[in-house]
Amino acid sequence: MMRTIEVLIVIIIITGAFIAASFFAVLPWPRQVSPVNLRRLSFTTLQLLDSNYDLSKAAFEIDNATIWGELQVALSASLPPNVIYNLTVYEVGGSAVGAELYHDLATISNTESLGSTSDASSYMTASANVTFNVIPEKIGEHSGGGTLYILNCSDAPGWWITGYTAHSLAQDLYNLLSSYFSDTVMVQSTTELGVILDGNPLHGENLQNAVVINTCGEAVPIPSSYTVYNDNSYAEYCYEVGKRVNLYNWTWTSIVGWPFYYVSNTNEFSGSQNSWGIYGMARVSNPGLNAFLQGLDNRASYDDSGTSSTSSPGVVYLSTNVLESSNYYGIYPSPYQTSTRALSSSILTGFHLDVTTYVFNPVGGSIPAAIYRHAGTGSSYQGAFYAIGLTRTPDIRLTALGLLADYRPRLYRSEYTTYGTSRLVVLQLGLVGGV
Amino acid sequence: MVAVTVFLAATLLFIGLFNQTIQTAVIYQRHRATATKASDLLDNMLLSPGIPMDWGQGDSFPSGFGLQDPEFTQYRISSFSLMRLNSASGTSVFYPKTGSYYSNITIGSKSFLLVSQSSAINYSIASELLGIKNQYGFQLYFNPVVTVSVTEEHAAGPLSLSLDAYGTGFPLANAHVTYCLITVELNGGAEGNPAYITEYGTVLTNEQGSATLNFPQIDDSEMSYALIVYAHLGGLVGVGYHERVSSEDVYVVPFIDNLSEGKILIAHNYDIEYTDPPSAEVKYNASLVYLAEDFTLREMPLENSYGHINSGDGSPYEVVNIPTDNPGILIITYKKSANLGGIVMMPWGVSALAFPVVFGGDPTKQEWVATDMRQVTVGRIAYQAKIAVWSLEGYQVIG
Repeated sequence: MMRTIEVLIVIIIITGAFIAASFFAVLPWPRQVSPVNLRRLSFTTLQLLDSNYDLSKAAFEIDNATIWGELQVALSASLPPNVIYNLTVYEVGGSAVGAELYHDLATISNTESLGSTSDASSYMTASANVTFNVIPEKIGEHSGGGTLYILNCSDAPGWWITGYTAHSLAQDLYNLLSSYFSDTVMVQSTTELGVILDGNPLHGENLQNAVVINTCGEAVPIPSSYTVYNDNSYAEYCYEVGKRVNLYNWTWTSIVGWPFYYVSNTNEFSGSQNSWGIYGMARVSNPGLNAFLQGLDNRASYDDSGTSSTSSPGVVYLSTNVLESSNYYGIYPSPYQTSTRALSSSILTGFHLDVTTYVFNPVGGSIPAAIYRHAGTGSSYQGAFYAIGLTRTPDIRLTALGLLADYRPRLYRSEYTTYGTSRLVVLQLGLVGGV
Repeated sequence: MVAVTVFLAATLLFIGLFNQTIQTAVIYQRHRATATKASDLLDNMLLSPGIPMDWGQGDSFPSGFGLQDPEFTQYRISSFSLMRLNSASGTSVFYPKTGSYYSNITIGSKSFLLVSQSSAINYSIASELLGIKNQYGFQLYFNPVVTVSVTEEHAAGPLSLSLDAYGTGFPLANAHVTYCLITVELNGGAEGNPAYITEYGTVLTNEQGSATLNFPQIDDSEMSYALIVYAHLGGLVGVGYHERVSSEDVYVVPFIDNLSEGKILIAHNYDIEYTDPPSAEVKYNASLVYLAEDFTLREMPLENSYGHINSGDGSPYEVVNIPTDNPGILIITYKKSANLGGIVMMPWGVSALAFPVVFGGDPTKQEWVATDMRQVTVGRIAYQAKIAVWSLEGYQVIG
């Protein structure tokens, strides 16, 4: 008898548990299980209405009954019959101090209440009377300089720029960087290069503190007048270039490979080739880079016993600093590249260099790409060298990005939230009928 | 003993009851997962142009599936990528002279869109590229937001046409309508070939979204013509069209044979519809028009635009090449005899005539189908993109 009572009690408990579980385990309506994504529908409807800028026009002409009538018809026509809506236009910001951030200007709706299952999207419309643009700060406009020299020498072939020509790379660099400099000068021949190496501007530009980009890859154009510096297979010329980089406080940029490995001039070297079949070029080999660094270090004379080396760290990754700049300037090269001509960190102490920007993260004692500045008198720098020791073919965006990451020119963007230039449109949608 | 038996029976009963509740909840969760997948899948397709980005304008198969127009961002869809989708709505057409089947998006009697199936992307390939093969089935449906229907009220003297513009939920009241009437001149072209003349105009719809167009110069009820109508209001643009031809039984059929070259075959309809045809030569004159900013049509000249074709063996098809990657309408006037002829149209890119597109599997008889939708723009035409998704893995339910 006792057992029977216990069983009955157990049954009552289990029944109670089942009823309680059934009470709380309320299954959702089919609409909740498979909802129409009202937020996306709302957003795409706003985009559709603004595809010919009609929505923007209506947002700034809230007193124009014709335009708002058309907008309401278009909105009603574009949504399914079981979708109800409320569209509100808000003014962004306020002309007065302390004014609320958004205040509503106009509303159209086909319902008094959107019920409990509604969702909304917002869309920023811009006034037709405002132009939004971005003005970059000019490099060196406050500190002297501001000139970009792009070596586009028609009489100097390149090496390790396979798939491109120096001219096409120069054009790409011009498009990427010219807006950041006060003057951009295309150095069209080795003769013109000789002119600026002699300290004379080509078009009245500021020669001091310029950035010089060599688009010939591992080869360096050599003016005929500088072929007298031919000691150690023209390594002496590289020393002279380094001296001038120091003298004029230039930033010399090597876009790919082993810098100063060849010198090129189609007239001077018409009968010689770089040992790979490219005529118009002479091979300097590894003393070239060492000679340049000696010049950059402002040594009194060229020591032809010096040599240089590079290493192959393999896959290397953009530094955090440069990744941030990538987003800031909107230049997006691949964040990882292959480096086979990385410079050794030993040059930092050997030639009194500081790295101001690591473009790629160093790998052990190898620096895949960085901007080196030569320590001058006091705390200032005198001359700089940007070497990108990646394998061919060059991605010219890395050249531009590294320079921008180092100089960090600011971008002055028009403010989209300035009073009177933008209005916020919010479309809230709900469903009626069915379950 | 009795108590133990009752206890076990009660326990089994309640296990069954709880099991029912839990299984129902599990099924609901799976349905919710399918609904989420539907929304994600739709955005994946609409917000990516695919790989390569311009696959819609070539004949090679993409390695990534997406329908976004590569020249735009957001929900702007490529008119050509949609054209390459193997239509699930029309029956494929076999053309014996090429030995090929063509995906069929033909609307009405004289508006064709037949794309070589060697160029068309089928459902199986798309599922594989989307990574849902054997997991989910889907059907994608692009339907114009604005429908413009045109009805002939009076055949001639004057030709009177009524049009009704309505959206998915409301008539397009007070909409701006730009129309182009194309009338066929059977002997108006060079060497006795047919030609056409155009007449443009604008009109406003009334509160019901309706308007009436009268053309008093059309005094011959046998005259062939086509009317193309663009209705636009507040960002919505819709297209409507209507044709009347004097030669209903003999006409030309355009086939898109090669998308990258814009190669269009001009075929005789007897080669498709009749196995033992009576021969009847048809002269044709083809031209391409595209929609300008002001909703008027601009003509683009075509090489080898006119010729004649016949049916049966020994009478090859003719070829015209469309030299543009922009959407347009191929207009072909044809002539069977001095008094009989007509006009056929083919959109180059589905948006030019606002053709609907249905692509994918069959959602009927599926246990649960989740749906979602977006508003998109194809070309300049407003479309609704709807997706239906169902699970192919089944629901293993006991009890």
